[in-house]
Amino acid sequence: MHLKLQEKVSVVSIFNHKSNKVTPYQIKWQNRNYTTKEVGLHHTIHIGKVLHHIYSISDGNTFFRLNLNTENLHWTLEEVWDESSDQ
Amino acid sequence: MHVDLNSCFASIEQQANPLFRGRPIAIAAYTTPNACVLAPSIEAKRFGIKVGFSVREAQQVCPNIIILAPDTEKYRVIHKQFIKILMDYSSAVTPKSIDEAIVDFSDPALHTLDLELIGKEIKHRLKTEIGQSILCNVGIATNRFLAKTAAGLHKPDGLDIITHKNLLDTYQNMTLLDICGINLRYERRLNINGIYTPLQFFNSSIPKLQKQVFKSIVGYHWYARLRGWETDNIDFSQKSISHEYSLHKKSHDFYELSKILMKMCERVGRRLRSSNQIAKGIYFRCAYTDNNEFHQSKTFANSIIYASDDLYKHAEKLFKDQFTGKTVRLFAVGCFNLSPEDPEQLELFNPKKQQLVKAMDKINDRYGEFIVSTARMLDTNSEALDRIAFGKVKEMDYN
Repeated sequence: MHLKLQEKVSVVSIFNHKSNKVTPYQIKWQNRNYTTKEVGLHHTIHIGKVLHHIYSISDGNTFFRLNLNTENLHWTLEEVWDESSDQ
Repeated sequence: MHVDLNSCFASIEQQANPLFRGRPIAIAAYTTPNACVLAPSIEAKRFGIKVGFSVREAQQVCPNIIILAPDTEKYRVIHKQFIKILMDYSSAVTPKSIDEAIVDFSDPALHTLDLELIGKEIKHRLKTEIGQSILCNVGIATNRFLAKTAAGLHKPDGLDIITHKNLLDTYQNMTLLDICGINLRYERRLNINGIYTPLQFFNSSIPKLQKQVFKSIVGYHWYARLRGWETDNIDFSQKSISHEYSLHKKSHDFYELSKILMKMCERVGRRLRSSNQIAKGIYFRCAYTDNNEFHQSKTFANSIIYASDDLYKHAEKLFKDQFTGKTVRLFAVGCFNLSPEDPEQLELFNPKKQQLVKAMDKINDRYGEFIVSTARMLDTNSEALDRIAFGKVKEMDYN
């Protein structure tokens, strides 16, 4: 299953003061919690003047692309790639 | 030193999405069957899939291949991180394209450095600072040409050095077409003059290359290049700004086509103005599905190109004058004869219009591209998408 979407999601994030990194630790999507196993890539983009942090994360079975808008601090789920549902 | 990221776009996608790792994937212009493959992953290359395959061909060779559309913003960010790492070793870094760069160590202050060690460190840093899937080839030699040749010897993840000791052995194992810069036409030209191997090319004299084979200074450049003398350290300034677009939905509807053309002109115009330049010439090209094409350029002595709709008006006229209702598959539009924006020259331009263009640019800078646009561009969200041109990174801001 591959979905492109623009859906607000609840995210628990962690700031590690030693590595100076923020990681989305857990996301709640469609009444299910997914815990991050790996942050594949973290990059930033500008939409106009607003800085957005893009996290490409995976819980081992499902891939999520999350967007943190730094103007309002809202998290948006932009992409889901789930192969367990194809089997 | 030449550093070349392996299967750049595909490796970045594999880094972002762990589910793609170790699997054949390809980045294509679109995910539709006729779209062109831009970057196959290392695993896809093992199936024989190459750049230029159609998505349909790739899927025939490898039915399980995952086809992805390009994420240009992501690739630009990784490119900047890549260049930033290289800049830690020398201030003279020249990005050659989105996935390759030259690091110049010719400064005498850098002569004591162990370049092999630096090459290994760059490979390690790419993996730890960007991601484990990001591999590169490093080539080290006395000039750019040989460094690029060295970087292509053992793909992927190679590190090779060409010196006077192994130069001839390297040529021995290559064909003329393996030489960067020798295409089929040049190969034929060399063959006609009795040169069939890189070693014969290397052993040819300057008069033969200059007067008989290439009939120009190019012959001497090849003579020097093949010996590891630098001939390619020329920084070409930007001469034009253009946008080429292979239509997602081929069309013969003039109104639909003019909307796409307007959007392309807006992209070119935005880039022209953000580089603080004006243009005095435009270029337009249109290719049809019957493989015919039309292209024309026009220069202006007394007027300037600044606003996107000026560019559009000229491009649309060139298009309209020859359009007979055939189905269009590709548009290219650009401007040339660039010069720095000069307030006096801008006076030639309607002041009210100038203010309007600047105000629109300001709004788009603040809120994002195409927030404000001309009415003609309505419903063109999926057309004339942002693309990375191979070999063009001159407009990239590294600050």
